[in-house]
Amino acid sequence: MRLINLAKCQRSFKHFGSLLGQSRLNTRVLLGICFTVFLWMPLQASAELPVPSHISPPVGDHEGEDVPQPIEFPHNRHVKDMKINCMYCHTYARRSKVAGIPPTSKCMGCHKMIATDKPRIQKLTEYWEKGQSPRWKKVHDVPDYVHFTHEKHIRRFVFDADFPVEDVQQVCGLCHGEIREMTVAHKVKPLTMGFCRRCHEANGGPGDCWKCHK
Amino acid sequence: MSFKNIMENFSNYRKDAEMGGHHDYEHRWAMAIDLDVCTGCNACSTACYAENNLAVVGKEKFEKGQGMHWLRVERYWEDNDTREHPENGAMFLPMMCQQCGAATCEPVCPVAATYHTPDGLNAQVYNRCIGSRYCNNNCPFRVRYFNFWSYYESSWPEPLNMQLNPDLSVRDKGVMEKCTFCIQRIRVAKDLARREERKVIDGEFLTACAQACPTGAIVFGDTMNPESQVSKAWAKHQITRGPHTHTKPKDNPELRGYRIFAELNVDPSVMYLERVRETEV
Repeated sequence: MRLINLAKCQRSFKHFGSLLGQSRLNTRVLLGICFTVFLWMPLQASAELPVPSHISPPVGDHEGEDVPQPIEFPHNRHVKDMKINCMYCHTYARRSKVAGIPPTSKCMGCHKMIATDKPRIQKLTEYWEKGQSPRWKKVHDVPDYVHFTHEKHIRRFVFDADFPVEDVQQVCGLCHGEIREMTVAHKVKPLTMGFCRRCHEANGGPGDCWKCHK
Repeated sequence: MSFKNIMENFSNYRKDAEMGGHHDYEHRWAMAIDLDVCTGCNACSTACYAENNLAVVGKEKFEKGQGMHWLRVERYWEDNDTREHPENGAMFLPMMCQQCGAATCEPVCPVAATYHTPDGLNAQVYNRCIGSRYCNNNCPFRVRYFNFWSYYESSWPEPLNMQLNPDLSVRDKGVMEKCTFCIQRIRVAKDLARREERKVIDGEFLTACAQACPTGAIVFGDTMNPESQVSKAWAKHQITRGPHTHTKPKDNPELRGYRIFAELNVDPSVMYLERVRETEV
């Protein structure tokens, strides 16, 4: 677009220059106007676009499909109301490739005592007494050819960056969205290669193919 | 570059291939394979099949040369066997991707699906590969294998798909693949070392072939680490990295090391130790 503007600018400059008797002053003024209208303004406009200074993932609607879970787990209740840290339940995120889904024993650690009258908890207790675990389904699934490590990302953005661990929800939310507003987790970010690369470029992540592709 | 220039500098052709590529290597994974110890048992090849999700193509496709063995054990027979014990049979040579420092496969890829990693490996990115097979044609070792078919259903019928290694993808039709020096193991070891804020220890991990070798013929390690077993083996047999300068000294039978096609200046990462033949001992 800017290239076309430049060409137009040159053409109009020549045209008006001849009309105005090719005065030095006029050409300068015209040059100034052309510069302002066709170069400076588009530059300004592009400067207002969100530049990935820190992280700017693609905006827009990337709603994934609804994944029905055996128990409708309310993330909002746990994260927003009760202020439980993500890594209390997803405990492997800080030391392993996968964040992990908590074992039923971890749920029962609290729910032996808390909210035992609620239907969801009664369902959970049923599972627990039968010695089974609810078959939780995966929501954020990257393709098999992608090697993604939670541990490295948590290390880079939380522990190495001196980010307060109690606010880790914000870091998780970069890829998982506002989980604290959801009940059952829902995929809202695209999680495509472009999505990953944009953040890697903004934050100096590795660009080597084999770092992520396997 | 004019034709005259090529003719005048032909002796330097590919000599400076090293100048263009990587220089800031983090590691340079390499091997030393002692052919005198190798019994040709094919355990390395089997281990490779299990580790790297290699498709079993079946007899007919294998006969057409569509086998997918990243590591093959080549057999060599002498025409006029003058050995004292000809019943010893063939001589074996395990052949896998030599992870050349100046690899001939890399510059010919039209989509840059094969490239040089900071570890000194020739990476093959399956997602990017379009299956032009130029790399295979340009490889002097013939160690790249092309997926002519989709083997997923035929090679791993239920419940065999449960044995697939999740640390690397199952390649589909139309994709070139080759030995990676077990990049998934390298990745795990490097991640662990980084987490514990140390360097990768020599022998901390091995490739599947080196691990499976019953006689310990395959030594794997990092040549950037002078204390590693493989560095010592290379030094012992006076094999060095870079352009080919090595000529096998005839007076010292102790020096058995050589790199296959090193004279092409591809700078292979695998050193072979010559088999000690009965006639020469």
